[in-house]
Amino acid sequence: MKSYAFLFWGYLVVWLGLAAYFITLMRRVSRVAKRLDDLESRQNAGDGKSTT
Amino acid sequence: MTRRHDAVISILLAATVVAMPVALYRIFLVAPEELVMGAVQKIFYFHVPLAAVTFLSVFVLLAGAVGYLWTRRAVWDHLSIASAEVGLLFCTLVLITGPIWAKPAWGVWWTWEAKLTTTLILWLLLAGILLSRAYATTPEQGARVASVLGVVAALDVPIVYKAVDWWRGQHPIVFGPGKGNPLAPGMGSALMVSLIVFVLLYMLLLASRMRLAGLEDRLAAVEDNVWRSR
Repeated sequence: MKSYAFLFWGYLVVWLGLAAYFITLMRRVSRVAKRLDDLESRQNAGDGKSTT
Repeated sequence: MTRRHDAVISILLAATVVAMPVALYRIFLVAPEELVMGAVQKIFYFHVPLAAVTFLSVFVLLAGAVGYLWTRRAVWDHLSIASAEVGLLFCTLVLITGPIWAKPAWGVWWTWEAKLTTTLILWLLLAGILLSRAYATTPEQGARVASVLGVVAALDVPIVYKAVDWWRGQHPIVFGPGKGNPLAPGMGSALMVSLIVFVLLYMLLLASRMRLAGLEDRLAAVEDNVWRSR
């Protein structure tokens, strides 16, 4: 019962799980935001051409 | 709106980073070691807040689901998606940390007793919500099915909470008037600080996931616009 090994694995699993999810989420946010910026700037450039 | 959202995420991240060492300090250096289980009991300071935050996420999911079914506004659906995904993560961690404690305490990793089984059902319902969105023919259909499943998941929460009272079982009773043993001085405050950290973490992940859902909706609209203009 006095083993710290269980505790170590428990804490490791929790923090690794939470950190992995947060990093994945931030990557997904930046990938979608970048794609959105690209498309919007391309669209704006296209609108600019058509009006001139 | 986006800037304000980013500011909220930054503030929550900073608050979590500051609060986390305080929680670890209270858990490992202030809270006394439990007499029977010793160090293994300290998993309780993670397992219980994770379970509480799972319940919180299902109630937020319920608010999002009812809001969407009532108004059909995208913001409610974003809240529902975000809380279901983050809730599934927290429920997964509950189901992992539980057996890590159960093995030294009960001698088995898992037993089909009421509390554990109803928690596993909650996990399956949350996973079902995400799958129903992923495999729906249209986003609207996915949102509708997920909202209905969200209401069903919320109905499971009181059953999980009351499972030990209704069907007994091995799971310890920790909270409630006249239930369990009162926590020793230092244990209660460590649990409270840990709970605050996990609520902050939940809010951080929820805000980030809602931001992603909003961006995905905007991206779909712009892509649709580009496709139509060709």
